[in-house]
Amino acid sequence: MNRLSGIFWSLLFLAVPVLGVATFAIAPAIDVWLPKDVSEHGPAIDGLFYFILALTGVVFIATEVLLFWFLWKYDAANGDRPATYIHGSHTLEVVWTIIPAATLLFLAIYQMNTWADVKMRRPAMAPSVEVVARQFEWRLRYPGRDGTLGTPDDLFLVNDLHVPVDEDFLVQLKSMDVLHSFFLPNLRIKQDAVPGMKIRVWFKATETGQFDIVCAELCGWGHYKMKGRVTVESREDFDQWLESQYARQNATQPEADPSTAVARTE
Amino acid sequence: MPHASMMRSAMHRHPVTIIAILGLCLLATGCGQTPPAYFRPNMVEATKQRLTPDQEKQVATVLLAMFGTPDEPVCMPETGLDEAKLRLAAGPVRSDIVGRKNGLYREHCAHCHGVTGDALGPTAAFLNPYPRDYRPGVFKFKSTERADKPTHTDLVRLLHNGVPGTSMPSFALLPSAQVEALAEYVKYLSIRGETELTLMRAFFELDDEAQGKLPETREFLVDETLTPIAEKWKAAADAQIQVPPMPADIDLVASIAKGKELFYGDKANCVKCHGVTGLGDGQANDYDDWNKAIVEIGKEISSGSAKARETSTSGMSPDELSEHRAQLAWIEKFGRVLDGDALEPRTIPPRNLRHGIYRGGRRPLDLYYRIHAGINGAPMPAAKGTVPPEEIWHIVNYIRSLPYELDGELGADKPMLAKDRF
Repeated sequence: MNRLSGIFWSLLFLAVPVLGVATFAIAPAIDVWLPKDVSEHGPAIDGLFYFILALTGVVFIATEVLLFWFLWKYDAANGDRPATYIHGSHTLEVVWTIIPAATLLFLAIYQMNTWADVKMRRPAMAPSVEVVARQFEWRLRYPGRDGTLGTPDDLFLVNDLHVPVDEDFLVQLKSMDVLHSFFLPNLRIKQDAVPGMKIRVWFKATETGQFDIVCAELCGWGHYKMKGRVTVESREDFDQWLESQYARQNATQPEADPSTAVARTE
Repeated sequence: MPHASMMRSAMHRHPVTIIAILGLCLLATGCGQTPPAYFRPNMVEATKQRLTPDQEKQVATVLLAMFGTPDEPVCMPETGLDEAKLRLAAGPVRSDIVGRKNGLYREHCAHCHGVTGDALGPTAAFLNPYPRDYRPGVFKFKSTERADKPTHTDLVRLLHNGVPGTSMPSFALLPSAQVEALAEYVKYLSIRGETELTLMRAFFELDDEAQGKLPETREFLVDETLTPIAEKWKAAADAQIQVPPMPADIDLVASIAKGKELFYGDKANCVKCHGVTGLGDGQANDYDDWNKAIVEIGKEISSGSAKARETSTSGMSPDELSEHRAQLAWIEKFGRVLDGDALEPRTIPPRNLRHGIYRGGRRPLDLYYRIHAGINGAPMPAAKGTVPPEEIWHIVNYIRSLPYELDGELGADKPMLAKDRF
């Protein structure tokens, strides 16, 4: 093994941290970073993500640079100094166990509050909508004018979730057949829909716009296209939309103009 | 590990040979291309009509000229279809020169409804209920009288809502231009399928002079065959059921009570199929038209083959013998066609009205259409003529109350003893 081979392999190993850091650095610029966040708890979740990224990033760079340095400096072509055999270092082992353990313990406690906010501290309100996941669509049921789910004035829709902005929104999530996962990337919400369970999901959207609902648990051949749309809009627009859906659902006469028969929602 | 080190030393000594063998294996898998999609002929009808291979070929040639291929549709002006929409929906999935997505039917519909619209796509056999076969030109959920075609709006609405309770999904999130293109392509496939059926049935009417060939004249193919079919589609928009308005100040409680009377009464006789509890358990052995056709063919085959087996061939003249053999060959061919070109027939259960899931739409208007005109292709009869329009509204209101009927009266949490149900 000549010196050239040693240089080649050291540089190859150095390429790993260099390219690794480079991809993370350019990702936001080429739009392959976190999706746009429009939820109230989103900054807390993203903040945790960045914290862990920074921590692991520093450790990653440090260990990889060290690896490169040892490959470069102690290449056999540089000298004939034989290796020293040691029986291990108890101090070193204690240090490199305690520090990661303490870090993990810190992370576990640091994130508890955010987890509780998102998954445990349910707002005291009636469900705003019941989402029933089904192969391969999201069936929605709004409680209607009387505010109670399961009454004759409920509003039935498919895949088209509307949410009023800046208001607490409580979803009652069920599944009609198999496991699905209710994933709203832009609202930092992900919850498995488990058959037989009625699971509550809540959030507060802070910006208007149209965003995706995608299924995040493999549910069959149509899982890849089990997409819905969530529209965040002002309270007035939301009420107006509800009224128009009521009128549509309770129609006793066909539309005068057939071109308005179905909502053009794109 | 002697095996591993043997392999390593072999690779060191003969690297070129090893690489050559691996390369050869890679090439041996071949670089094939998917064959272009083609329309599948209606073999069930062709066999039923006892068409000869030449006759089947004539039908296929005529259809090719009149309708083109799945990748290159031909849009004759007599069909009244929009060619631009057909081009958007037809062919393989790709982007056209302005960046719009083409091949919409292949992407969204073909895997259940089939490239030919014959409901024999790869996923069709796994679905309950089966997807719709467009070729007979019969559609269940529409706003027109029973025997009429659906309007364009009916098709667009169905694509928008999907069919709840079945595997037909909602395409509400597709841009409306794409939904329009798909609806147009469904009409194209239906017109093509119905033309194919008409042509195949026309052989029976030929006189001996024609020598088993259909006249390939514009008069016969377009004016007498294609145009009547296309006219029915064009006429649908003007043939919508006239629905009298439901009075705005209607007393809902009284209407529901009246509706219940009618539901159980002899005039509408809903309980005969939908059951005295509305659970759809009134009867369970009827078929929809698509499945009934297969069931009847199956019966014909089994009775025909039973008779053929019992017939003794001794004492038959040569003519009788060849006829007997032809009959046996036909029965055998039909059996094979049913295996490959038809789905296992299923009964159609009457709808369970307690679920609150309505396949054709949940608006009161939709329920009115279903009761007034019945459901084309299904055993649901038309109440038009027997039940006056205001009374149909009473039945509609009763139906809409059925999923909630237990709340309050019996209590949703109290199970009902079977003996108390009747």
